[in-house]
Amino acid sequence: MKSAQEGAAALSHIQPKRGSSLLRNIAKRYDLYLMLLLPIAWYLIFHYGPLYGLQIAFKNFNPAKGIIGSPWEGFGHFERFFNSYYFWRLLWNTVSINLFSLLIAFPVPIMLALLVNEIRSKTFSKWLQNITYIPHFISVVVIVGILNVFLSPTGPINMLIETFGGTSIRFLEVAGWFKTIFISSNIWQNMGWQSIIYIAALSGVNPQLYEAAKMDGASRLRRIWHVSLPGIAPVIVILLILDIGHFMNVGFEKILLMQNNLNLESSDVISTFVYTTGILKGEYSYTAAIGLFNSVINLILLLMVNRFARKTSETSLW
Amino acid sequence: MRRHWGRNALTTMIVSGLILAGCSNDGSSKTENNPSSESAIKAEGFPIVDQPLKLKMFTRIAPVNGPFKDMPVFQDYEKLSNIQVEFTEAPTDGFAEKKNLLFASNELPDALYRSGLSQLETIRYGSAGQLIPLEELIEQYAPNLAILMEQYPEIRSAITTPEGHIYAIPGIVTTGSARTDKRWINKAWLEKLNLEEPKTTEELYQVLLAFRDGDPNGNGKADEVPMTARIGLPIVQFMSGSFGLDLQLGYNINIEDDKVHIWSGDERYKELLMYLNKLYKEKLLDQEIFSHTEAQYLAKQGSGNTGLFFDQTNNNFLPIADQYEGTAPPAGPHGDQMQSPAAPVPRDYGAFAITSVNENPEATMRWIDYFYSDEGSTLLRFGREGEHYELKDGMPYYKEDFLTVTGAQGRMTPYAGGGAPHLISDKVASFINPPQVQEAYAKLEPYMPKIRYAAPMFDEETAQKVNILRNDIDKYIDEQSTKFIVGALSFDKWDAFLATLKKMNIDELEKIYQEAYDKMEK
Repeated sequence: MKSAQEGAAALSHIQPKRGSSLLRNIAKRYDLYLMLLLPIAWYLIFHYGPLYGLQIAFKNFNPAKGIIGSPWEGFGHFERFFNSYYFWRLLWNTVSINLFSLLIAFPVPIMLALLVNEIRSKTFSKWLQNITYIPHFISVVVIVGILNVFLSPTGPINMLIETFGGTSIRFLEVAGWFKTIFISSNIWQNMGWQSIIYIAALSGVNPQLYEAAKMDGASRLRRIWHVSLPGIAPVIVILLILDIGHFMNVGFEKILLMQNNLNLESSDVISTFVYTTGILKGEYSYTAAIGLFNSVINLILLLMVNRFARKTSETSLW
Repeated sequence: MRRHWGRNALTTMIVSGLILAGCSNDGSSKTENNPSSESAIKAEGFPIVDQPLKLKMFTRIAPVNGPFKDMPVFQDYEKLSNIQVEFTEAPTDGFAEKKNLLFASNELPDALYRSGLSQLETIRYGSAGQLIPLEELIEQYAPNLAILMEQYPEIRSAITTPEGHIYAIPGIVTTGSARTDKRWINKAWLEKLNLEEPKTTEELYQVLLAFRDGDPNGNGKADEVPMTARIGLPIVQFMSGSFGLDLQLGYNINIEDDKVHIWSGDERYKELLMYLNKLYKEKLLDQEIFSHTEAQYLAKQGSGNTGLFFDQTNNNFLPIADQYEGTAPPAGPHGDQMQSPAAPVPRDYGAFAITSVNENPEATMRWIDYFYSDEGSTLLRFGREGEHYELKDGMPYYKEDFLTVTGAQGRMTPYAGGGAPHLISDKVASFINPPQVQEAYAKLEPYMPKIRYAAPMFDEETAQKVNILRNDIDKYIDEQSTKFIVGALSFDKWDAFLATLKKMNIDELEKIYQEAYDKMEK
């Protein structure tokens, strides 16, 4: 810790003096820069390299001619998508599923963390934590299988409804139920896992603050509101921005597994549409354009939220 | 120490770079190892080549099949032809994905076997040069196929592009009975409830009602499934003939007086959906019809607890086969009576294709052509004489002890599982066409369409246009039809359905099919 601080101090001391002599700096600390090579290569190959393939969104991709040899199409694929009957539905489903997830699913782990933090009994809070984060390790396929069994017309939930005199509901075949099921099962699966980081942040809050609040006669809720929450606010904002960063990429596998002709109206999202038209029907150019459109919206949202966060809370990604 | 580390890193990078380069060299030289052995190919007779030849093929492997390399059929044919085929197998689930990625990455095998290529795919990959035109090869190296194409002119028109190329070979079915699913009705239940075989859709409704309420299986519980079918909308095709809706040109099309008409927005179609909605609502139609899997459906056939279902043969319910008999399509409210879901002679379109990386297209063509002869088709479907089958009156029949081993057939031949490129004639159809199935077909035959037009071949530009239109339209029709049937959408919304179809340019689609039909008829 100390040496790192010294190093940083030394660095800041050197830099202004030598000006822009980056090369000299590299020569001096070549071992550090060498270690950087691997992550840079990884980004170049797996994150920037594929950008080159993005041009097929503006072309009529023909595998035999390759990416470069394929003829240009311009914005034709985008126009086709915007004029498609499914455009608004796809956009609405993608945005709404994410928006609802964000509104409903995002606060849950925070509340769970606060709860765990407040529980006096160490064993009970550990037990609660374990119980809530274990579902995170169940694979998506199994989760959807569980949903199918539990929500089927002859499943336990419908049996319960019928014993209380209701009529059974085909949950997975009704468009209106899709988002509820999707989001609530997501919450169930992930709240424990996501709360870990908040619990860690909470343990970093200075205990003296709690003591002081207690002295001033703050109730338990007041202490949560005025000490715990501000204490983890930067973590919340950062995680919120990160979440927004993949706002449009909803859990693709899970939706695809839960999809059927009857709930398509609310389960058809951009990513599943890209898969079914692009990979299964071989329309690479068309779906590359849709994917690009998706990413652009993502980027715009990220920039907006980041700016908003910087202005209001002084915490932001950059 | 530091310096060493740096040097080591550098050497590692260089060495690994060299290894990578070496690998890629290897990859490109692999194909060159196979010198073109054109001169060694024999025009007729076996073996096809004197020097052993290796071919790589991409194929679909169905759930019932074992690995292709262990199939006696291919082992025997390898000895006979001197061509060794190395199969890359992709399971039925996810097959379309793998196939498309193969073309997109341009990492092609020598040929695609049982590939189920669509018309659009063959045109797209054919005109891109990834698949090679086969018409001349067929002329010279595929005598069996050439003869079939002469006998059945519809084959040529179904597989030839407007530019005159053939990029893929279909499976060919000359047995009428193998071209449509039979309607199997529970004879035992009919007798028990003292009912007549239903002749009209209304009678069918009454019979299904009786199946539901009359407890024909005698267990005191209302657990009978009156009617079931494969997952999803095939039920629409099975019933469409009773409402005067044909399935020409591989689509929802009626042809009358040379006029092509897409009927998806017709009043007749609405009637059909309303009828199916009535069946579904009253639990006469399997409530799991939109969610059960193929395996579950087949299990329902074998359970004997279904009243009416659809299948091509009786293989899946052999132990209780006596309980069922074939029935004719019921006459609809306007007196229509037709068996609409009937495949054309060239049935499995795009079953086999040769790619541009193949260095031995002639030998490959000869290899596949054998399966279009009676002899080759017998080998493919029945395996070894004495071991798997025996001849009775010159016709091959599976041996009893071979049939008793569960799953043995699927491990022996790729034809089990469907879509294999070969000839299905009366001579080799004893298994799928036993007397019971023939009787069932005899009841359907009067109602089979006189002419069955296969899906037309469009030129690339038109094919792309059709693709764009149908992408939206088909998805919409499927989705809405499903909802109409289960009652998630009320029939008040029918006009909105029509309006949307109009907006999706269904008229333009109809015009394109009309033009394709006019060209065909010329």
